[in-house]
Amino acid sequence: MNNVIEISDLLFEWKNKKQFSLKIKELKIQNKKKIIIFGRSGSGKSTLLNLISGILSPTSGILSVKNIEINQLSQKKKDQFRANNIGVIFQQFNILDYLSPLQNILLPCFFTQFKKHDKEYFYNRTFDLAEKLNIKKNILYQNNSKNLSVGQKQRIAILRAIINKPYLILADEATSALDENNKNDFINLLMNLCNEEKVTLLMASHDTSLKKNFDMSINLEKILL
Amino acid sequence: MKILINIALQSLLSRKITVSLTIISLTISIVLFLSIDTLRLGAKKSFFGNVKSGDLILGARSGEIQLLLYSLFQIGSPTNNISWESYQQISKMPEIDWIIPISLGDSHKQFRVMGTTQNYFERFSYRKDQKLQFKSGTYFKNTFDVVIGSDVAKILNYKLEDNIIIAHGIASQSLHDEFPFKIKGILKKTGTSTDKLVLVSLEALEAIHKDWKTGSKLPSKIKSKKKEIEDLDLTPKELTAAVIKLKSPITIFKIQREINDYQEESLQAIIPGIVLTKLWQIVSITENIMLSISSMVIVSSIIGMIAILYSNLNIRRKEMALLRIVGASPKNIFTLIMFEAFLISFFSIIFAIVLVQIASFIFFPILDRQFGIFLEQKLWNARNLYFLNLVLISSLLVSIFPSIQAFRKSINDGI
Ligand SMILES: Nc1ncnc2c1ncn2[C@@H]1O[C@H](COP(=O)(O)OP(=O)(O)OP(=O)(O)O)[C@@H](O)[C@H]1O
Ligand SMILES: [Mg+2]
Repeated sequence: MNNVIEISDLLFEWKNKKQFSLKIKELKIQNKKKIIIFGRSGSGKSTLLNLISGILSPTSGILSVKNIEINQLSQKKKDQFRANNIGVIFQQFNILDYLSPLQNILLPCFFTQFKKHDKEYFYNRTFDLAEKLNIKKNILYQNNSKNLSVGQKQRIAILRAIINKPYLILADEATSALDENNKNDFINLLMNLCNEEKVTLLMASHDTSLKKNFDMSINLEKILL
Repeated sequence: MKILINIALQSLLSRKITVSLTIISLTISIVLFLSIDTLRLGAKKSFFGNVKSGDLILGARSGEIQLLLYSLFQIGSPTNNISWESYQQISKMPEIDWIIPISLGDSHKQFRVMGTTQNYFERFSYRKDQKLQFKSGTYFKNTFDVVIGSDVAKILNYKLEDNIIIAHGIASQSLHDEFPFKIKGILKKTGTSTDKLVLVSLEALEAIHKDWKTGSKLPSKIKSKKKEIEDLDLTPKELTAAVIKLKSPITIFKIQREINDYQEESLQAIIPGIVLTKLWQIVSITENIMLSISSMVIVSSIIGMIAILYSNLNIRRKEMALLRIVGASPKNIFTLIMFEAFLISFFSIIFAIVLVQIASFIFFPILDRQFGIFLEQKLWNARNLYFLNLVLISSLLVSIFPSIQAFRKSINDGI
């Protein structure tokens, strides 16, 4: 089982918007690879990521993650599967302002296997990872997350995406809101963590300068039918 | 589930202003409804509470509502009296179980004086067959003994053995000051008009009016001393009304007819329950209008709550999407919105309960004193609880719509 994602004859159409459709003949993403997806605005990058995370369901065709066809799962299993196996980072709105940074990070755990005996493990994991990402403990324990800087918010988002030990991290324009320094820090931290945790990374972006950090780049427009 | 509760609470707290405004409007409307309803029922109870005792009320012919008002509530004044002879005649009817004579006309301070017999204390009952009870003392034994209602005692600060002077007529300056009465009994609170009565014997009323004619004091020929008066014949000449209890209710209409057809004098008998219901129908129109206005207020604040839930859905789209990404199911999103609606209405209800409770402590005694509306302190009867449940359930039912909307959006929406 070398491929984390396997796509064949995929078709997706919005119910209320017929002029756009996403068709992919074949796409395979290998385990532990770091891949960047380019493509014009509106070409369907976010849509593809939403399909892979199971938020959207394909109109037809096969899309499997870890050899599991997520579309075949029940709604509940699908949500569980996502929380357990996939971490997602967005450009913005990664954080629920009214929860503390710590609660934000642990959200995927709350929705999955957060058992009593796991609690200590996940808290310790959070503290370890936070240290690696240069986030101080007192920041984690703030009452809410309103006052975090953009850079801090994105790093919290990385933590949240990786806390549940996923196989796959999907990042949608995760660097667009960051300035040059923050962007480089962010990419380096993300790459290091993915290496350490042996996670596959799939990132959609406009920023071709990021190409050098990745194992492979895909131009979405080229693989679309 | 725990995480959803947590998220719902924190999310509501983070939107303090809109949420608290919603809660305030819902709370106010619930308080409004509860107060109006409590008032309405209280008024009704105080109203009907006075009529437990008798089957018929006997009086001179006049308006039946008028007769009811002065005989049972001591409101207004009688235009005609009935003669002692007719009263005697009627009370001898074999169908009659007992009869309480009532004689009105005089007053003490702001309270009315009512002449009656021992029967009043033994027979008069109110609300659920409760009997009059003495807080202290007992009923009158001597001519110039007096029994006072609990409000009279409380407001005028009277004790047993205090002397009081009765004034002639209502709100009059001329006093029967040569006949001081002695308080021999104080009644327990009943929540009826009895609380505001000064009760004396029929003989006493006869005695103090011996040297009065047509409303003014004659320059007294006999220097009326108590002792002398008590030796005279004190059989009353007239009465205002009488409350009649029959041995069997089957004979009500028969006796009523007999009294209405009474030859020697023009008399009438009314059935208090029926007249009261007529009267209540007139009064209750306003009550019903107020009640429907306040229910509309509730409906509008529930709609307001839903409107806020709806308009927030768009603003909170990202929030929902994020929750979906970290593993929340569309069902969880549905539950979340429902739960928010539940919290809003639940807290509104709690606040309303507290407010109404506080208001009841402040306003119940005032209502009692000013308007004679006696409300029981126990507010949380089945009816009110039923109503609160109804508010909760209907707000939840209506919240289903925005919740389904959120559910749908969270399925069809990408990020
Ligand atoms: N919720 C939605 N309902 C209907 N159509 C949508 C929805 N979201 C996106 N689309 C449409 O789907 C198409 C692809 O959008 P998508 O967001 O995937 O593009 P993108 O490549 O991520 O663009 P960008 O680089 O600007 O993020 C667009 O035509 C867009 O208008
Ligand atoms: Mg996009």
